[in-house]
Amino acid sequence: MNILSNTPQRLGRGLQCLRRPWRLVTTAVGFAVFGAGCLIVTLVAIPLVRLSPGTAPARRLRLRRLLGLSLRGFLRLMSAVGAIRYEIAGASRLGRPGQLIVANHPTLIDAVFLLGFAPSSSCIVKRALWHNPFTRWPVTAAGYLNNSPTDRMIEEACDALRSGESVIIFPEGTRTVPERPLQFQRGAAAIAVRAATAVTPVFIRCSPPVLMKGDPWYRIPQQRVRFSLEVGTDIDPEPFRRGAPAPIAARQLNDRMLEVFAALARCP
Amino acid sequence: MTSLDRNTDAERVYQMIRSALIRLFRLDPARITPESRLADDLEIDSIDAVDLMDEVKRATGRKVGAEEFKSVRTVSDLAQVVERLTRS
Repeated sequence: MNILSNTPQRLGRGLQCLRRPWRLVTTAVGFAVFGAGCLIVTLVAIPLVRLSPGTAPARRLRLRRLLGLSLRGFLRLMSAVGAIRYEIAGASRLGRPGQLIVANHPTLIDAVFLLGFAPSSSCIVKRALWHNPFTRWPVTAAGYLNNSPTDRMIEEACDALRSGESVIIFPEGTRTVPERPLQFQRGAAAIAVRAATAVTPVFIRCSPPVLMKGDPWYRIPQQRVRFSLEVGTDIDPEPFRRGAPAPIAARQLNDRMLEVFAALARCP
Repeated sequence: MTSLDRNTDAERVYQMIRSALIRLFRLDPARITPESRLADDLEIDSIDAVDLMDEVKRATGRKVGAEEFKSVRTVSDLAQVVERLTRS
C-alpha cells in the first residue's frame, strides 16, 4: 500500500531531478543561440537590408522588423525546449506613433520581449551594449538610442517620437532591485512631457526571479521560469505638460508612473 | 569692452539664470545666491539641467553642452560659462 502510493511520487521526483539539468542545458544553448543570432544578423541581415531598396528610415524599419521576428522566434524556441514560459497581454497596443513604452526591468532579457512584440519601436539602450561585440552592430543598424549623454538621449528620443516612432525605455536605468519599491530616473518622464503622445506602461513579471543584476546565467531555479508581460492603460502626458513648467511636470508624471506600476504590481 | 560692461553682462546672465531657476523649478528666490550649488543646494540633477540649458538657449541662442555643464558647480559657475559663450 505504502510502496504503491509512493511509486508515482518517486517517479515524479526523479523526473523533477532531471528537469533542472535539462533547463541548465537549454539555458546555455539559449545564450549560444542568441549570440549566434547576433552574429548572423551582423554578417548577413544587416548587409542585405543595407542593399535593399527604399529610404534609410524604411530600411531601418525593415531591419527592426527582422530583429523582432528573430527575437520572437528565439522566445518561441526557448519556450518549446522548456527553458521558459511566457505570456503577454495587450501587445497589439504597442508600437503606436509617438508612444513612449515604459517598462520595469526585472531581468536581463526584458528587452528581448519588448523588441520582439513592439518591433517597429526604437529603444533606449545602455552604453555598454554599444561596445558589446555581439550587440553593437544590431543596435547601431537598427537606429536605437544611446542612454548617454543624457541631454542627447532626451533630444534623440523626442525627435524619434515627433517623427512618429514609438520608443521603449526602462526608466529605472538599471535592473529592478527585488523587494524594494521601484525607483525611476526622471529621463523617461522628461521625454514624455516633451514629446510623447501617450505613455504606455508595461509591467514585466518573472517568477521565480532569474537573471537579475549580478546573477550568473547558470543559477537555474527549481521551477521553470515564467515571464508575464502586461500592457497597462495609457497615461496621457498632456494634462501634465499643460499644468506646469517641464521639470515640474516631469516630476509629477514620474510620480504618476510609479503609482501606476505599484498598482500593476499589486494585482496579478 | 571695458570691465564694467563685462560685469553688467555677467550680472544680466546671472539674473536670467536666476529667473529661469525660479520659473522652471519653482524655487524659493531666497534660496538662490551666486554661490548656491546647483546639485547640492538646489537639487538640480542632470535631467533638470537639460531643461535649464534649453531655457538658457532660448534666452541667449547659445547651447551649453553636457560636457561643459559637468564643470559647473554653482549658479555663478554657470553664469560664467554662459557669459563666455555669449561673448565668443
